[in-house]
Amino acid sequence: MKKITIDPITRLEGHGKIEIFLNDAGEVENSYFQVPELRGFEKFSEGRLAEDMPQITQRICGVCPEAHHMAATKTLDDLFHVDPPSPAKKLRELFYSSFYVTDHTTHFYILAGPDFVMGPEAPVAERNILGVIAKVGLELGGAVIKTRMQNHHIIQMLGGRAVHPVFGLPGGVSKGLSEEERKEVEQIAKDSVEFAKLSLKVFDDIVLKNKEYLDMILSDAYTHRTYYMGLVDEKNRVNFYDGKVRVVDPDGKEFAKYAPREYLDHVAERVEPWTYVKIPYLKKVGWKGFVDGKDSGVFRSTPLSRLNAADGMATPLAQAEYERFYSTLGGKPVHQTLATHWARLVELLYAAEKLLELSKDPEITSPNIRTIPTATPDEGVGIVEAPRGTLTHHYITDEKGIIKKANLIVATVNNVAAISMSVNKAAQALIKPGKKITEGLLNRIEMAWRPYDPCFGCATHTLPGQAPMEVTIYNSKGEVIEKLSR
Amino acid sequence: MGNSLLSDDGVGLCVAAELKSRLDQSDVTIMETSVAGLSLLDLLVGYDRAIIIDAIQTVGGKAGQIYRLDPEAFDTTRRTISPHDVNFTTALEFGKKLGLPLPQEIVIFAIEASDVSTFSEECTPEVKQAIPTCVETVIQEIRRNPNT
Repeated sequence: MKKITIDPITRLEGHGKIEIFLNDAGEVENSYFQVPELRGFEKFSEGRLAEDMPQITQRICGVCPEAHHMAATKTLDDLFHVDPPSPAKKLRELFYSSFYVTDHTTHFYILAGPDFVMGPEAPVAERNILGVIAKVGLELGGAVIKTRMQNHHIIQMLGGRAVHPVFGLPGGVSKGLSEEERKEVEQIAKDSVEFAKLSLKVFDDIVLKNKEYLDMILSDAYTHRTYYMGLVDEKNRVNFYDGKVRVVDPDGKEFAKYAPREYLDHVAERVEPWTYVKIPYLKKVGWKGFVDGKDSGVFRSTPLSRLNAADGMATPLAQAEYERFYSTLGGKPVHQTLATHWARLVELLYAAEKLLELSKDPEITSPNIRTIPTATPDEGVGIVEAPRGTLTHHYITDEKGIIKKANLIVATVNNVAAISMSVNKAAQALIKPGKKITEGLLNRIEMAWRPYDPCFGCATHTLPGQAPMEVTIYNSKGEVIEKLSR
Repeated sequence: MGNSLLSDDGVGLCVAAELKSRLDQSDVTIMETSVAGLSLLDLLVGYDRAIIIDAIQTVGGKAGQIYRLDPEAFDTTRRTISPHDVNFTTALEFGKKLGLPLPQEIVIFAIEASDVSTFSEECTPEVKQAIPTCVETVIQEIRRNPNT
């Protein structure tokens, strides 16, 4: 077989790798998904002031700095034993809802959209946002840009700057909203709700009404029966900012529900020889390998997982869409990975509605935005739902608030086992002896991990703007027979 | 552009900090950012010219080497396979199609990095040495008449 190697001149940080191993018969024996490990964050944090962590940790990731900022801020509340006043909590949630609107919008239109609008095997040059707007119209492209810009404006309004906000403080936030700003937020929220509704209609028209796509979503190649994790409020509804972590089993029954401080009782990490990343699994189920089912501690932490782990959504339109989601896909839980794209849009609608609800809250313009911490810091844990999954920060300090130990479990790491399984299953279903390995076929394999939107660490600000992905296929002798890099 | 916590990845930000202390022109805005794709597009809207300074790693590149590139240099990577966003060329083309007021000229200065995966606020020595040269090169670029 011809060996293909493409070696583009590109920034190489954040290198994602898929390695596929074939057996003697040319069938897929196993596949691995590798995430690069960044070295030394714990050591880097040691000796620093804990209150700097919301600024430091958000620089880890160029994709979701707001999620790290918020997780770190909540960890400081716990560390300094301080409860922020209600308006501060609402302002944080408002800020975070705006962030979700921007992030979920980007994912759907830039990443998920091209596969469905243009088709999984459409020519590479067309399978991108330019192809999408050529097909669905410039107007929708304009709406994507407008929604992102408007919500970035809210983030900047509260966070003080467009990137790397200076907003969260232990016990509250640094800035409130004036009445004039509140009105502006309310208008943006209304626009965002309309945009989310439009996005769901686009999904309906292009994906759900296309039998081929619906069959693909429901196909076994993209299905795994795993545990699901997500933050829920006191009524077990999806919450991005606060609450308890709820885990449901593959039958959808509650398996665990825990407060952030208890995370180590529920999540353990294991080392595999082929990756530097420690792979989390459910401690009370145990590690049984990269396998599905109730006896396997593999869990998923994604938009789909959050919907599965909850009993519903806290806003009316999102709740209606949540019900339609499960009635269309055959009830709870939904195990089809590709349904994550739809789940993400349900969450987009929820984020926009939550933004609107908070913008009209009588407390939102209150000047009571901070409780000054007075207790001695010692240890804190903070959990938020990052767009890509549950994000946990844990710091231990001395009595002066100097970091002695820091532990972070980031969203993508939660999903490493599941992503590997998804890639392997799709590869096994699609690569067959004697079948030509085409770019379109590899794209269908990539479609197995794209719903997770894996975050390869920090530096996705890269000049070409894309973290490279490398797919290598080995024969039974361990020789490389196919290699594609992008 | 860059990540100030990841060794040489932050070299662009070091150059920006130096430029801030050297340049005091009301018609020049210096921004530090870590974003990509569409978010980078948002930052470029409304400007006449743009100079982007970032770290780069090339096949067989020598740490500290400075390259002057234009956005088309990245055209070969144009597709939506990025885990999170569109690449720069696609984002620019998208912006142009939507009629956004984007810079007429975009120049990229890229500095070859040695280590972009160790948490550190310091660049490696070879890359650090390239900072003053890059600063001078950027200042010359700013003073250059864009129409010549």
